[in-house]
Parts: sequence; C-alpha cells; structure tokens
Amino acid sequence: MKSITDAVQTSQHVQTVTDRLERADLWMVALAAASALVAFLVVLPMFWLVWQASTVELLRAYDLIVSSQTARITANSIGLMLFVTVFSIVLGVPLAVLTTRTDLPYPRFWTVVAALPLVIPSYIGAIAFTGMFGSGGEIDSLFGVSIPRIDGLSGATFIITLYTYPYVFLTTRAALLSMDSSLPDAARTLNAGPFEAFRRVTLPQIRPGIAAGALLAGLYAISDFGTPAFMQASVFTSMIYWEFGNFNVEYAALLALQLVAIVAVVLVIEAGIGRDEDASGGTRVGSTIRLGIWKWPAMGFVSALGVVTLVVPVTIFTSWLFRSEGDPIPSLEFQWEFAFNSMYLAVLAALVACAFALPVAYYSGRTNSLVSRILERATYVGFAVPGVVIGLALVFLGTRTLPSFYRQGVWLLVFAYVVRFLPQAVGTVRSSVLQVDDKTIEAARTLNAGRIETFRRVTLPAIMPGLVAGAVLVFLTTMKELPATLMLQPIGMDTLVSIIWDAQNALAYRYAAIPALLLILISGFSMLVMLFQEEGDLS
Amino acid sequence: MTNTDASDARSLTGRRRFLATTGLSAALVSGLAGCLGNGDENGDAGSGGGGNGGGSGGGAVADADPLGAPVDPSGVTWDDLGDLEGEITIYSGRTPDQIDLVFEELENEYDGLTINRDYDDNDVQVNQLEQEGDATPADVFYSQDPGALGAVHDMGLVQQLPSDVVETVPESYREPSGYWTGVSGRVRSIQYNEDRLDEVPGLDSWDDLPTDIFEYATDDRFEGIISTRPNSGTFRGFIQAMVDLEGENATRQWVRDFMDQDPQLFSGGSDQAAAVERGGDDDPIIALGNSYYAARLVNEDPNSPIRVAFTEGDAGALFSVAGVAVTNTVDDPELVAEFVRHLVAVEGQEFMMDDNGEFPVVEGVDYVGPLPGPADLDSPTYDISAFDMELQEANELLEDEGMMPL
Repeated sequence: MKSITDAVQTSQHVQTVTDRLERADLWMVALAAASALVAFLVVLPMFWLVWQASTVELLRAYDLIVSSQTARITANSIGLMLFVTVFSIVLGVPLAVLTTRTDLPYPRFWTVVAALPLVIPSYIGAIAFTGMFGSGGEIDSLFGVSIPRIDGLSGATFIITLYTYPYVFLTTRAALLSMDSSLPDAARTLNAGPFEAFRRVTLPQIRPGIAAGALLAGLYAISDFGTPAFMQASVFTSMIYWEFGNFNVEYAALLALQLVAIVAVVLVIEAGIGRDEDASGGTRVGSTIRLGIWKWPAMGFVSALGVVTLVVPVTIFTSWLFRSEGDPIPSLEFQWEFAFNSMYLAVLAALVACAFALPVAYYSGRTNSLVSRILERATYVGFAVPGVVIGLALVFLGTRTLPSFYRQGVWLLVFAYVVRFLPQAVGTVRSSVLQVDDKTIEAARTLNAGRIETFRRVTLPAIMPGLVAGAVLVFLTTMKELPATLMLQPIGMDTLVSIIWDAQNALAYRYAAIPALLLILISGFSMLVMLFQEEGDLS
Repeated sequence: MTNTDASDARSLTGRRRFLATTGLSAALVSGLAGCLGNGDENGDAGSGGGGNGGGSGGGAVADADPLGAPVDPSGVTWDDLGDLEGEITIYSGRTPDQIDLVFEELENEYDGLTINRDYDDNDVQVNQLEQEGDATPADVFYSQDPGALGAVHDMGLVQQLPSDVVETVPESYREPSGYWTGVSGRVRSIQYNEDRLDEVPGLDSWDDLPTDIFEYATDDRFEGIISTRPNSGTFRGFIQAMVDLEGENATRQWVRDFMDQDPQLFSGGSDQAAAVERGGDDDPIIALGNSYYAARLVNEDPNSPIRVAFTEGDAGALFSVAGVAVTNTVDDPELVAEFVRHLVAVEGQEFMMDDNGEFPVVEGVDYVGPLPGPADLDSPTYDISAFDMELQEANELLEDEGMMPL
C-alpha cells in the first residue's frame, strides 16, 4: 500500500514539476519570442540595405569591393577602430580602478571628470581642437607657441578616443563595483603581488565589463563620420558619403553592407573575449589600494585629461559667445524650445530603448544559448552603421509602411534612435541580469511568488542600476545624434544639435555656443544621476 | 589719389577682386557672369501640360493659372502677384542663414501663409526625396546645386513649372522644359588669405593671381598651399563646365595636375574657408570655393584676411544657380506656383542680392547692393542644365583621378 501511495505521490510530484517546467518553458519561449521581435525590428533597416545593394550591377559591385580605394579605407577604418578601442581601454580601465579601488581623494569628483567627456559630441570636440591647436590656432595666437595640428587618421583616433573612452570607464567601473572585492585580498594573502592579484583575480572578473565598453567605443569609432571628415581622414564612412553625394544610394548601401560585414566579425570576436564570468557574489568591501605619494600624479593625470577633454571645448564655446557680431541670423537665435525638443526626444528614446532592451538582455543573460547570443548581438548592428544610412532606410520603410504618419510626430525618429543606440541599453541591462543570483529568484519562487511578482519584487530592483545606466547612455547619445534627427524630425522641430550644425554651416559660431554649452550641461546632469544612483545602490 | 570712398576703391581694384573692406552684409564680388546679359529666347517646351507622372493628390503646377499677374522677364513686383495662402513644405539644401529671411519676409507679407522648412544636407535631401517617392511631404525642393536639381528631375520626382515662370528665367539658368529653375546666381572663386599672399613667390597682391584656372593646377608655386572641396555640388559643376569648355581629356589632365600640387581636400566648404582664414603654417593660402563662404567670414569678422578673386572666361569662374523644383505630389498647385513666382519677382530677386550677396537670374531686375554692373562681369556662358557630362560621370572622373574627399 505504502509503495502505491509513494508511487502516486511521486507521479503527482512529477506532474507538478512537469507543469512547472512547461510553464518555465512557456515563459522562456515568450521571452525568446519577444527578443526575436525586438531583434527583427532593429535589424529591419538592414533588409533595405541588402535590397538596395542587390540592385548594383555585379561588375560594378565587384569593382567597388576589390578596388584599392576600398582596401585602403577598410584598412584605415579597421585601424581607427582598433586604436580607439585599445586606447580607450588604456585610459578607461586604470581610471576605473583608480576611482573605485584606491584611496584617491574626492573619488566622486574624479569619477564625474572621467565620465563627462562622453557627453560631448566628438565632432564638436574636433571643431574645438582644430581651432585650438596648430599654427594659427588659439594657443598659437595667445601664447605664440605652436602645438602641432592634430588631423588625419591619428588626429581622428585621438579625438574619438578622448570622447569615447568613458564607455570603457563606465562599464569597467560598474563591473568593479559589483564584483566581490574581497577576492583580490584573498589572492594577496596567498602571496600574490598586487599586479598578480589584479591580473589573475580581478581582470577575469571585470573582463566582460571591459569588453562591453570596448565594443561600444570601437563600434562608435567605425561608424563616426563627422570627426574623420573634419580631420581629413579617409575611412569607410567617407566613401559611403561620397556615394551618397553622387546620389548613388545603392552603391552607398553596398559599402554600408561591407561595413556591417566587418562589424559582424568584430561582434563574433568580441563574443569570444567577453564571455561571461560569474561576477556576482556581493559587494563586501575589500581593502583599498593605498596610493601614497602616487596620489599626486594620479590626480594630475585625471585633471590633465579633464582639462583636455572638458575645459578646452567649454572654453572655446564660451569664447564663441563673445565673437564679434555679424549680421544677426534670426533663424539661429537661441530658443529654449531647442533644449526642450532635445530632451523630449532623448527621454522618449531612452524609455523605448529600455523597454526593448529588457527582454533581449534578460533572455540572453538567463540562457546562454546560441540563439540568445545571436539575438543579443543582432541588436548591435545598428550602432555600427552610420546614422545617415539608418535614417534613409527608415525614410524608405516609414513611407512604405505608414505613409500617413510619416514625419507626423516623432515615432519614426525615436525608432531610429532605438535602432542606433539599443546596444548601450542591452549591454548594461544584460550585465546586471548576469549578476542576479539564481538562488534569490528560486527562493522567491519557493515562497510562492508568481513569476511576475518575482520579477517585480526581486529581479527588477536588482537590475535597476543597469536599466538606469542604459537609459542614461541612450539619453546622452540621442542628445548628440545629428543625421537621423535632421532627416526624420517633424519638419521645423529644431534641437540643440541641429542648431549647432546650422550655425557651423553658416560659419556663425556664436550661435553654436549656447546650444553646445547647454548640451553639455543637460547631459552632464543626467550623467550625475546615473553615477550617484549606482553608488547609492551600493552603499 | 584720395580714395577712401568705397566705390572708388572698387573701381580701382578692378573687376576680379572680392572687396571685403566694409562690413556690408555679404559684401560682394566682382567679375562674373557675363552670361547675365545674353537672354536666350526661352525654350518652347516649357508650357506643356501636366507634370510628369504626378502621384496621389498631386496636381499639375504647370496648369495652375496665375493668381494675379503672370511673371515676365521685365520684372514683376509682389504687389502684382496673387496672395499666398496656405501651407507649403520646403526641403532645403541651402542653409537657414541664406534663405530663412526670404521665407520669413513672405510670411510677414501674407498672414495666411505658413512655410514649413526642413533644412538638411543638400545630398541627403536628394536621397531622401528619392526614398520617399510619392509619399514625400515636400512641395518644393530648394537647392544650391543645379546638379542636385537635375538629379531629382532624372529620378522623375519633380514636375514642370508654369509657363510664365519658365519664360521669365533665361534658359541657361533652368531645365529646358521647366522641371526646375534657378532663382539666384552664385559664382566659383579663388579664395585667398590676404595677409599670407606674400608667402608665395611673385605674388605681392591679388592682382598677381593667375586669371587662368589651369595655372592653379600647373604652377609649382601653389604646391602644398592650395585646396579644394571635391565633394561639393558646385565643384562637380565646375568639372562639368570644364568638360564642356575644354573637353574631357583636358579636364582629366587638370585634375591630375591639381592632385600633383598635393592639395588639401576638404569635405566642408565652411571648414575650408575657415582654414584659409586661420592662416596657420599648415593651412591653405589659396582655395577653390564659392565666394559666399568668404563673404560670410568677412561678415562675421570685418578684420578677416580672407578675400576672393576670380579667373577670367573659364570654368574657374563658373556662374551657377541656386534654384527650386516642385515635387509630383504638391497639395496645392496654385499656391506652389504662385510661391515660385514670388521668388523670381522683383522683391524675391532683390532679396537674394541684398541679403545673400547673390545675383539675379531675371534680366529685368536692377542690381541692388554692392554688386558690380554688367560691364564688370567676365565669365563665359554656361548652359548649366545642358552640360555634356552627367553629374555621375563628373564624380567618376574625379574618382578615377584619385580626387576624392579626404
């Protein structure tokens, strides 16, 4: 009898487990479907690229692909991307260690200084620097000292690095803050030197963080047009623009596809390097590295960087305010509406990007399957394609799918931002999902919390920092975005960057000053929100 | 010999030089556009019926009767024209500082008029119009580049203008059948830094600058100090003009020689002019570019050392136009037609001269502002809509010879 009861009970038990599994499977299937939908939506513009490129006659396509010109700019672009990535790591990782793991005085202040360059559009940095350096530049005319002009490929590498290394800084910093910092101490007690401990214990833990930031920096570098153009460096985006300028959209599309192919390789390589280590395990405070006398050079280094990346451009913009007045240009006169429009668009983009990022990041963070990896990686493609290409693709798709809503309202523009900037949210949300302990979720489930409730009460608070960080990154980059904004904004809706662009075109720099300063101010403020939210969360 | 008077100074310095001595808005120029004077009889193809194709809701602008008096080559004022009422959406490749004032003036003149302006890169606008097709919200495409206007015509995106407009503008400034028309003239120039000219052996003043565009490619003295901007529409127009005048081989040779000068190639006209103005050791002293970039810099800073001179009788002084085309799907053909009439009427033309330092395209409009009279002008006639060479071929020529931006 007993055995029968057992059997019944067992079968009931099995039944419950199966039910649960089925429900779990259903849940995962739903999640996978949502991720797939998001990935499909953001990859949609690529279909337009393929379609356009397929109309190029084969011979011409072949010529374009194998031409020496293409080879040269491919090498240049890859070089630019690699150097920016490497230099971003060289700058970003030590800065992150310095501000989180050492007894550097005023760590919050230096954190802000190190992160803030991300808010300055790199092409604006380029304008400021070319005006500053070189013979005939502001430094030359003020002090009579001529610092060599920065231009060409090395100049573009320099500028883009200065304004993108914060990606690495921010992601590395987040990884450092969330890893168990007593581990290196354990390593030290086992007689490892500080560098040995860093290399063997810390580095593997924060590697996904570094890789995530490095990927964003590299992809930004290869898709940037403004800075290389301003520095007279010829890269892939130059050639794409050249064909655009010849009204050869299909050739431009073909070139853009080549760019996508390069990026796909990068994404695969990065997926290998940045493979996930379990970086979770609490936030016990380990001992900090004592800088001793080294704190002075350390502070000197961060301040020097801050002067170059922040003080120089801000000084230049401010000096523009006082440039001699020519005829007034009423259409460039500053209006608060510009700032409002910029923020409105950026907030919308940040919200939608988070909503899109959540299923993709959650799915790929929970299941490390090939499918989840592919779906996650797919969302990165848009980030690597120049904004003008995504913009045109959406012009085409928008007019074909919802013509009566085309350029009515901001939905298509916001979608363009999401296509471009989603990976920033996916990356940060995903790394915080990785750090949610499975056991906590299981515990909540055993306490009879439903899936939704568990998510709301356990998972969501845990991934909130990642979500906020992602939202802020999307907000910042949306504030800076230009080509898609010009193309898809409701007609007549000016933003801060569109006015900067107009003013620069008209050589009326004085009108660019207020929008540029305001752009830095607003973005800087949102950066503060992110940084302090992270720290508050950890204390 | 006492000549501080501006007009004296102008006659003294002759006809090739851009006078930047006063802060007058977009103070201009001498030396161009001989073509202004020779009015071709207008083409007879202009008044044909209907646009080409025409999409949903589109109307034929060519059939829209004038709301007031029709425009004609002798110059018609805004008072004679009909009222503008309604909404027009304009895609502009020109920048707001150049054109917004005209729109504003029209909106002030007519209470019921709203002009929606969309400013973007000229090339982007063409590509965008192509992708939008009949779903475009634009009624009018306003461009500084005849090549771009030709491109939207080739893509079948625009329709014919009313016959009175077509008959008002000389054929060399518009598409022969009236699919687009020039509205104002502009000119290619040699920009130079006045303070640095003496760094070039044998150049003591602007007067010593060559008057032949070929010398800028072959004269060793310009090696390393000259610059241009190959991705600009007007530079391609310049290449097309040279092919027209000198043949393709000579043009290729010019490009090859010019590239041997180790020129700096800019991708933005503003950047280029700013570099000439800055005058650092690595900056170009001389640049091929449009005159108005220099005019803007002088306008912003009267002490700016940038000046402009012109070559004589060759493609270097290409007289080109900025102009408009109307899309296939205009909402209100009468309004759009009347709008274009306003641009080629007297006040519209004067506005371009006064505020932009551009030239009129309508013969019957008198010169106003600091412009040279027709006697001072020297530039061959180009029929800019009928270059032998297509825009695309011009680009390919540049590509072949290794002259790409950057």
